[in-house]
Amino acid sequence: MNQKQEHDEGKRLWNLLSLPFRKKPAVGVTPADVIHQENKWRLLRYRPRAAGVAFSTPVLLVPSLINRHYVLDLMPGKSFAEYMVQQGHDVFLLDWGTPRNEDRFLTFDDICERYLGRALSLTASFSKRNQAHLLGYCMGGILTAIHTAVHPNNVASLVQLAAPVRFHDDGLLSAWMRTPSFDIDAMIDAFGNVPWQLMQSAFHLLRPTLPLSKAVGLVDRAWNDEFLDGFFALETWGNDNVSLPGEFYRRYARMYRDDDLVRGAMTLGGAPVHLSSIRCPLLVVTFEHDNIVPWQSAAELMTLVSSEDKQHLHLPGGHVGAVVSKSAARGLWPNISSFWALRDRTSLA
Amino acid sequence: MMLWDLWKKGFDAWEEATARYLEAVLKSSAVLIPSGALLSAVMKAKAERDRMITHFWNAMGLPSRQDQERALHLLNQLHSRINDLEQKLNERSP
Repeated sequence: MNQKQEHDEGKRLWNLLSLPFRKKPAVGVTPADVIHQENKWRLLRYRPRAAGVAFSTPVLLVPSLINRHYVLDLMPGKSFAEYMVQQGHDVFLLDWGTPRNEDRFLTFDDICERYLGRALSLTASFSKRNQAHLLGYCMGGILTAIHTAVHPNNVASLVQLAAPVRFHDDGLLSAWMRTPSFDIDAMIDAFGNVPWQLMQSAFHLLRPTLPLSKAVGLVDRAWNDEFLDGFFALETWGNDNVSLPGEFYRRYARMYRDDDLVRGAMTLGGAPVHLSSIRCPLLVVTFEHDNIVPWQSAAELMTLVSSEDKQHLHLPGGHVGAVVSKSAARGLWPNISSFWALRDRTSLA
Repeated sequence: MMLWDLWKKGFDAWEEATARYLEAVLKSSAVLIPSGALLSAVMKAKAERDRMITHFWNAMGLPSRQDQERALHLLNQLHSRINDLEQKLNERSP
């Protein structure tokens, strides 16, 4: 055993013994201001870098409703939002907040048309062309695609990050959602909002061996402080879930079960949702080992839109890891930043 | 360290195989159909219990929990409608 290996072994042992006393890493700390607040959701605007904003079209990030928004601003050095700010983008983020019991009545249209529409138009108002680049992640991506199909005016371009459009796939989630004996209405009637505990249990069941695998991985790399900080930041986020508004979920689940998006049977505010109405520049990002959204289910959007300027970026990695890992800072983030930069009509840089 | 690396390789192989097996089990209709039916039955029972509680409070002339939630929701909707109108006004102003 050489000197470095001995040092690593000592460090591993020390870090493992001191795990219970380890300080939790700070999450979601990139400086931002709240520019709008309505019901539980907030629109955040990240403070620009010291050199100022370099691009004229702002960017709106739309995360999933069932997780906290700070997955896109996990921790310094592993933050998508921080990286985009450093590249000179004017970054806005929609924080869906925590629904309370009264939000069980919020409908799909309330969230996808009214709330997302307001966030988008407020973001777009910061640009001369009155448009913003829109990025949707996971369930957020389903919302951005539907919204763009019906209300394309404020959308300069669309980035879909691991966002499914074809719900009848080989994944476990799809199989569970389509189980005929599972009565979605009974669940909404019983709980109001879909409890986060139920959803978290479902996500754990997607790979029941994952906690054990994570524990072994932790022991294996315990010598690496940077890894440990990232690990605990991600665990903090993974265990910080929110419930889903009941009426919203009723419509969402029906769309999922009947594959409404691909069939063109979805409506938003009474208007039919045809994904072929999407004509803006499009970037679809999928991940090879995504066990929540099978990549084929997200890639399908490429064939459904009418955009002439469209790209598909397929990367290794999983649903979350690929967005917040070190490799994301080398591959995914620069790719998205250049996509926006190239489609910015009047660069200020 | 050699021993640990060897053990980890074995663990990774076991984990992959077990995860694949569990996925097949959790996808099979023999598991999904009864689980879904059981879950639905429990939830229907809970919904029925809540309905009875609501009837009780209403019979007493008092608002139920759901009535209060609906009132709060309507207040939030009113706030959103005001925001809609403000937005329209801003869009029309020069």
